[in-house]
Amino acid sequence: MLLVIDVGNTNYVLGVYHGEKLVKCWRMATGSNKTADETGIFLYNLFDASGFDVKRIEAVIISSVVPDIMYSLTQGIRKYFHIEPMIVSAGIKTGIVIKRDNPKAVGADRIVNMVAVNEIYGGPAVVIDYGTANTFDVINEKSEFITGLITPGISICAEALYQRAAQIPKIEIKKPKSIVVKNTVGSIQAGLVIGHIGQTKYIIQQLREQLGLPNMKVVATGGLARMIDPNKEIFDILDPVLTLKGLKILYHKNI
Amino acid sequence: MILVIDVSNTNTVMGVFDGEALVANWRLSTLSSRTSDETGILIRSLFRHSDISVLEIEAVMVSSVVPNVMYSLTNGIRKYLKREAIIVRSGMKTGINLRMENPKEMGTDRIVNLVAAYEIYGGPAMIIDYSTATTYDVVDENGEFVTGITAPGLQVCAEALYQRAANLPKFEIVAPESIITKNTVESMQAGLVLSHIGETVYMIQCIREELGFPTLKVIATGGLAKIIDEKEEIFDVYDPVLALHGLRLIYEKNKNRRQGERKCF
Repeated sequence: MLLVIDVGNTNYVLGVYHGEKLVKCWRMATGSNKTADETGIFLYNLFDASGFDVKRIEAVIISSVVPDIMYSLTQGIRKYFHIEPMIVSAGIKTGIVIKRDNPKAVGADRIVNMVAVNEIYGGPAVVIDYGTANTFDVINEKSEFITGLITPGISICAEALYQRAAQIPKIEIKKPKSIVVKNTVGSIQAGLVIGHIGQTKYIIQQLREQLGLPNMKVVATGGLARMIDPNKEIFDILDPVLTLKGLKILYHKNI
Repeated sequence: MILVIDVSNTNTVMGVFDGEALVANWRLSTLSSRTSDETGILIRSLFRHSDISVLEIEAVMVSSVVPNVMYSLTNGIRKYLKREAIIVRSGMKTGINLRMENPKEMGTDRIVNLVAAYEIYGGPAMIIDYSTATTYDVVDENGEFVTGITAPGLQVCAEALYQRAANLPKFEIVAPESIITKNTVESMQAGLVLSHIGETVYMIQCIREELGFPTLKVIATGGLAKIIDEKEEIFDVYDPVLALHGLRLIYEKNKNRRQGERKCF
């Protein structure tokens, strides 16, 4: 079985693949102050609690955008799983042509997402990942990465707002029933959620028009994607485990 | 002449009106650590630099959304301008009917903008203030407040992005030349600016369609408004000193009332 790990700025997600099938999936907070032993024993116990024998894991692949935690994570896996993890980094075979000033600067999570979209759904497509940052990455039908946009994620925007504005309270992120709001909490909820819907629609429209890709597919992933498009009008595909699928594909391309 | 002061979370803007004419205006950082002596001296120095005598100032009108700078500000004005600042608060005559669950929780900066937009440009209008927060406030043709939406401002979002994402750098907020980006900074610049344009365009569309205001005027203010609408296609009016005019108008609406109050003593 293959263990895939996607380390994001806020959370990291682990998945276990048995062949093509995702048999288990966990989500953890990304804490940069954990040691290799703490990380390793935690993962070991996680398997134990789910009734998985750690010995059945044959390989591990990791994609990370948080350099700080990589030592503890890889060392913990070596010590407790006795496996040398494969890391998504420059030089790995992806099947994507990355036309950038510095291809190494593209976050590994974005590469993994594009690999998944390219292999599973095919280009031209934009993959939108709603995370700490929202990323909009476009690949064409020739598997070329054409352009990518990065916008601040909905939860970091909400936090920044109450940290920086004296009279603005903490709020729960949810869509208000109406655009007519009569109190501060509703006002901020409308601003965040309707603002993000508008952002998504506008960026998709601009990409379609300016890149001349009217038939571009829209593939979304990330925890908050469902809130952006509850009526399934914006996204063609909502795939919550896109990144895990991409990691599995990348592993098989590189063994 | 009157001095008007608009205290926002990031900046404090001051203006001097001679009748309806704005004869000077200045922008300062909003600092809670600034003392009343520092504040008072700074205001006097700015006046002298613009050849305005503090003796000509008959009143000082203040709107603030930052409670913890108010002591130093009002005390500095008392000490160096010999005036008691009038603070915009609920209960003042504004000409706007604030139909909210709790009108007191609405930031006075937004009330001041609504007053100016309604008096100068008329309703139905949407006022968009691009500041620490971006606020979208709607007033109808009868001066009734319809709805108000608060979103995080461009600067706040940019900071959140590089503070919270380990691999992302600081960047300058500018509109990209093309949606085709070639590096991380361009990706963030395009993402930030286009996402805010999208937010604005969609808010205007939702308000026009859902509330049935096809003739809604869109009035923008705040320093970052120019980045949102470089081609001048989104806003009907861009008024960088809207809040200052609002403060002047609120002063005029409440001037006689205050004089009346004083006669009672």
